[in-house]
Amino acid sequence: MVTRFTLLEELAGMVPDDVLVLASIGNNSGFWGELTERDANLFHLTMGMCSPAALGLALALPKRKVLALDADGNLLLNLGVLGTIANEAPKNLTIVVMDNGNYLGSHKHQPGMPTATSGKMDLAAVARACGIAHSSTVENVADFRERIRAALSGDGPHFIRARVAALDTDGPKRTRRIPDPRENKYRFANYIQRTEGVEILGSGLGGG
Amino acid sequence: MKPEKAQLVIQGLKEAGIDFAAGVPDAQFIEVYKMLAEDPRIRYVGAANEAEAVGIGFGAWFGGKKPALILATSGLLVATYHLARINLLHEVPVLVVIPYRGDIGDPRWLGLYKKTTEPGLNAMDIPYRIVSRSADIVRAITQCNESARAWLKPVAVLLSEEALW
Repeated sequence: MVTRFTLLEELAGMVPDDVLVLASIGNNSGFWGELTERDANLFHLTMGMCSPAALGLALALPKRKVLALDADGNLLLNLGVLGTIANEAPKNLTIVVMDNGNYLGSHKHQPGMPTATSGKMDLAAVARACGIAHSSTVENVADFRERIRAALSGDGPHFIRARVAALDTDGPKRTRRIPDPRENKYRFANYIQRTEGVEILGSGLGGG
Repeated sequence: MKPEKAQLVIQGLKEAGIDFAAGVPDAQFIEVYKMLAEDPRIRYVGAANEAEAVGIGFGAWFGGKKPALILATSGLLVATYHLARINLLHEVPVLVVIPYRGDIGDPRWLGLYKKTTEPGLNAMDIPYRIVSRSADIVRAITQCNESARAWLKPVAVLLSEEALW
């Protein structure tokens, strides 16, 4: 089975610099931070918060592509967001779920505990039934590449469930520190201010 | 809540510059939610639960929006993990508006929320103001939002007594 790292390497080579990428906690953030050095990354989106945050950002900036790099356990905590995404229907939003069917597999040498998706639950079918028409499962690099290309070039919302190995048996060499949430906030917000012409951080004196 | 008081909440949000809101409808605030959903100046997103609403508001802030979360006292409990996280780790400002069920004077027995609402906000280090008169609704909302944006942290407005009933 394909690994998370293999697919993230592919993604890193495909995502234009101006696509805003929001990564869930764990190895989605750790690997993505190693594979890409870009201002347009927001890391450390905790359990249940990655796709909702991407939705809010996509609605705020409807002309900007937004990609959520989510995970099965993370998404399951706030699964209702798929219905919200379907109804709000932001054309600029893509949800990529690294579905390893496993809690804690990203950090351990042994499987953690199974998520619902390791059993009978099919996240792509759930997303489709919620009303996200562009919803699919990919299990290899070629299909992943094709679906990402379609998502980045066409109207969404898109939902891509990438079925990956339960354990991260490969990964990037650690060469840098992933910015902490505050440091990351300033860098990400300043980048959006600079490229979108919106005011986010304000003056710090109440005028923002 | 009477429609004229709900209208004051909407007026306060507009005067504060709020242009984005998320939440889950609550019985006492249903007029506020309906007005928000129909108002062209504020983008309202109805979430499936209040933690999701926090994530949506958090994301909207990064897109240059000035977000508010409209949360029931019960919903504040659902939102707690994400609210604590964006307050203590990310330090991102959102205005939180809460109809304070269970406060002294609430005609129904909802004392659970007296025990959880203010202690919960204090535990998360989220400053708040309790508004007891409808005449103070607009000013409290504008001031709390101004402080949220200056401090880069969530600040809450709790409506109680004559401001709510």
